[in-house]
Amino acid sequence: MHVLEVLPPRLYPCLNSQKRAILRTLQISIHPYPSYEARKERGDDRTGLETNEVALQQLYDLISGTVNRGEGNSCLILGPRGSGKTRLVERCLLNIPNKPIILRLSGWTQHSDRLAMREIAHQLNQQTGTTIFVHPDDVPRNIDNDYPDRELNPFLDKSVSSMLVSSASLPLSSHLPTLISALPTLPRPTIVILDGFDLFSLHPRQSLLYCLLDTAQSCHSGAKSRGLAVVGITTRVDTVNLLEKRVKSRFSGRILRTAPPQDLEGWIEVAKATLMPRVLDENQEKSYNEEWKSLWNMAIEKFLSDRSVTKALNETFSITRDIRMLNKIMASLALHLAPTSPFPSVSQIKATVLSQRIRPRSPFLHTLSYPALCLLIASVHVDSTGHSTFTFEMLHECFYDQLRTSLSAPVQVNGGSIGMAFEYLVSVKLFTCIAPSTGVAKEFVKYHSVVAREDVKKAVDKTGQINLRKWFTKAQ
Amino acid sequence: MEDVSEAHYIGYEELVTDLSTLLTYPPPFIYINDPISPRTTSMIVDSIFEKFIEEFPGGSSSIRAAKVNAISCFSARLLYDSILNSLASWEAQWDDGCANWNIEDDGPRWNENFDGFIHGLHALCAYLQDEKARKKGKGKQKQKSTEYEGDDVRLIIAIERAERLKDNLPELLVPLTRLAELARIDLTVIFISDVQWEDIRPPLGASPDPFFIDVLPLTKETITNRICSKFSYTSDDLEPGPYHPSLKGLYSHFISVLCDVCFPFTNDPQELEYIAAARWPGFVQPVLDEHRRKVTSESENEMNEGDAGSTLHPPTEDVRMRLSRIFNSSLNSAMEELYPRLTNATEWASANQPKSDLLAKPPGEVMKRGTLGSSLDKDEGMKSLSRMSKFILVAAFIASTNPTKSDLRMFGRGLDEKKRKRRATKATGKTKGGPAKIPQRLVGPVQFPLDRLLAILGALLEENDVESRPPAPPEYTIPGEYTDMETGRIGIYSSIMKLTSMRLLHRMSHPDRIDGPPALKCGISYDVALLLAKQLDIPLNDLMWDPI
Repeated sequence: MHVLEVLPPRLYPCLNSQKRAILRTLQISIHPYPSYEARKERGDDRTGLETNEVALQQLYDLISGTVNRGEGNSCLILGPRGSGKTRLVERCLLNIPNKPIILRLSGWTQHSDRLAMREIAHQLNQQTGTTIFVHPDDVPRNIDNDYPDRELNPFLDKSVSSMLVSSASLPLSSHLPTLISALPTLPRPTIVILDGFDLFSLHPRQSLLYCLLDTAQSCHSGAKSRGLAVVGITTRVDTVNLLEKRVKSRFSGRILRTAPPQDLEGWIEVAKATLMPRVLDENQEKSYNEEWKSLWNMAIEKFLSDRSVTKALNETFSITRDIRMLNKIMASLALHLAPTSPFPSVSQIKATVLSQRIRPRSPFLHTLSYPALCLLIASVHVDSTGHSTFTFEMLHECFYDQLRTSLSAPVQVNGGSIGMAFEYLVSVKLFTCIAPSTGVAKEFVKYHSVVAREDVKKAVDKTGQINLRKWFTKAQ
Repeated sequence: MEDVSEAHYIGYEELVTDLSTLLTYPPPFIYINDPISPRTTSMIVDSIFEKFIEEFPGGSSSIRAAKVNAISCFSARLLYDSILNSLASWEAQWDDGCANWNIEDDGPRWNENFDGFIHGLHALCAYLQDEKARKKGKGKQKQKSTEYEGDDVRLIIAIERAERLKDNLPELLVPLTRLAELARIDLTVIFISDVQWEDIRPPLGASPDPFFIDVLPLTKETITNRICSKFSYTSDDLEPGPYHPSLKGLYSHFISVLCDVCFPFTNDPQELEYIAAARWPGFVQPVLDEHRRKVTSESENEMNEGDAGSTLHPPTEDVRMRLSRIFNSSLNSAMEELYPRLTNATEWASANQPKSDLLAKPPGEVMKRGTLGSSLDKDEGMKSLSRMSKFILVAAFIASTNPTKSDLRMFGRGLDEKKRKRRATKATGKTKGGPAKIPQRLVGPVQFPLDRLLAILGALLEENDVESRPPAPPEYTIPGEYTDMETGRIGIYSSIMKLTSMRLLHRMSHPDRIDGPPALKCGISYDVALLLAKQLDIPLNDLMWDPI
């Protein structure tokens, strides 16, 4: 049975729902908060994720120790980008019983300890100030603990402390140690997740980390304290070395590692699972008839067993093991399915890999306007005289010399067009400014061209303008 | 109207299908790169949003889109507020004190920091979900089956000119690209820029790589097609104007000629449309004049004929040829003036308006209008200068361009009152290794002390100004002594001060410094200097160290 080249119109809806199903699968795997079932199903599908499974088990043990037995724990999850660190934590948290208080901080947004603390206070208010999470039995006993701020500030009277519950109110920075040491006294165990852990260690004196880790370490299991777990997430391998001695000595030293798929088979497996998604909406199920299903499955089998496809995937795998890269390639493949080419093809994956993986530095050079190309050639000329930087006037002079000497210049350029072309090249950052330009007239600001000589050559060849090519070859 | 929106998409079909398919289940971060015309792309993205939200199950209560411009949102607060207001479809009212969107009147502010912004997004999501639930409660019986599953609200945030974020708000770049992850809601961030992602990507891989969508530059045919199909009829037979249905054929011809002329210089469809809009009314003016003349004469001849004669017919091939001959040369000048925006379209159009009834005149009589004199007159601002100021400027130009060591050779005079021998020819550059020397004129002016300026000024005056002055008083016996006295006058200093305040000279040393002479730099270009030198009869090219 051969694969159809052009799709009959009755199968158009099938193609569309297939596309949507693929994108949906991709979104679920990218999206940080997918439904548990989908995640479990996908997690089971994967091979080559054993490292992550081990880490998951360890993290689960650690956190359940905190939640069930009130331990103070700390650990660091370390792994390259896209190896599933955040996903690991989320998966783990979904399985934890008793709904602990979860504080999520990110080094990217909380640039200072003060901001981090405000965010902690806010999230505490969100999670304990509402009654949804509070166990009914705990309410009368721990009423003070529901409002940690009140405990922190004995000078506040009652009305003010009740105001503190609203999310607008936040404690002062001097209360940081007290606020954090109050965490184990909350009605429920607390889990603090620090994304970008290495960035927190760059804060002055590492006081937040110190407080958190100190509290976690000194957290004794007992009736009073409820347990605190500090989970750091980072890609930086030397993060532990960044910690000050007093902070490091309070860190448990537990490092859980995550890894992307280790072999190409796992990678292709993921690709296959993406292209043949099992999760389908009810709506989609209707239009997903058997005929289409068999056609599609056959096409995918054929596609994935093609040698060029395997090669493309293998190359990608050798460059990066970030699963998000694969997801992007798959998404792009799915986008370009059309009734005229209903199944992914070899040429498509080649184009996709080019546009999503390692992108060419300046793919549009040959479509540049005539004056802009002239300026690029002039910059090559200037470069070949031994000057790596140039001003607009230098390029202009070079261009005019060429215009004077060759009578065959195709376009007489005057007016503002060459200046506009220069500004265009600056604005798309093909020319980058290298010296501070204050107090220097615009035409004398020094620039540097980021376009390699070969790229200019290719672009000039591609435009097929003989004059430009002649001029270009003069630069030796 | 349908027609117009279709025309809007010409050349961008791929972007439209890609983006609208992608938005059904969007990745968290998309980067749209259009190196040629990011404005057009962002307009198209706008209309994609509109259409997508309309067709999305649940409509605007389950999906919201916002587009902000990173140029206008130059501070973090502006960015947060504009995004939230636009997502909530909230317009600040002057009467309410231009309050930003909020659930309660005195709720927390969302623009304090990035955390506040994320709280704002959460609040907005909750608000929209509430609204949706309320709506659902109302129309529950009617649309049960088509309900979009879940109460999730999807937010789309597009930021155009995203390259500005790198300069203005570098600390926001990483959080914005990770926004979906940080806010943990169904959200997509789209950056639109003419710069490649590699140029604005934060270091150390702090941001996840986006899903790339590249907008390919349009070909000449596509652009021609695009502009032609945007020809919308705004005039009819009652009041024939340049955008009359009968003129569409002529318009296509006009556009294709225009694209032929301008395409080598710019392939931005918007720029071409701008030039077309400036030239077209003038281009068809003769046709309309002709028509009006005909109608008037007919109505004079036969009062009761009816209005059959008043329809505007498409012009004949002959007329088209004549129009092209008359106007083609002006297309080039339109490009030269309008593309760099030396003037605006309206002004250019009125300045280049053809004479009325051009077609009625015999072809020989139709004079080609000269183009509008370049509005950027170099002489502008120089006319008011005094003769002495001009001398100072030329001297400053020489001082900024020639190396200091060359002054004695250029201006030194022996006792025999003969010019010293100049350097015979240009030094052969290749004698030493290393890169060839670039003329100072191209690298930019160097700074010089005031003393040197005065010395050069003295030399210039002595050589070019002595004859035009009243004879020196008898007490000055040494040659040049009188000139020396002249250059020491307070008038010279005040002229220099004045020129500095006009920025024709730049003062480089700090004004408070009192030791040593102040350092200056020349602020005029070679062309201007040459012009001034010509007025003063100074052979400037002979006085330049680097030959031109």
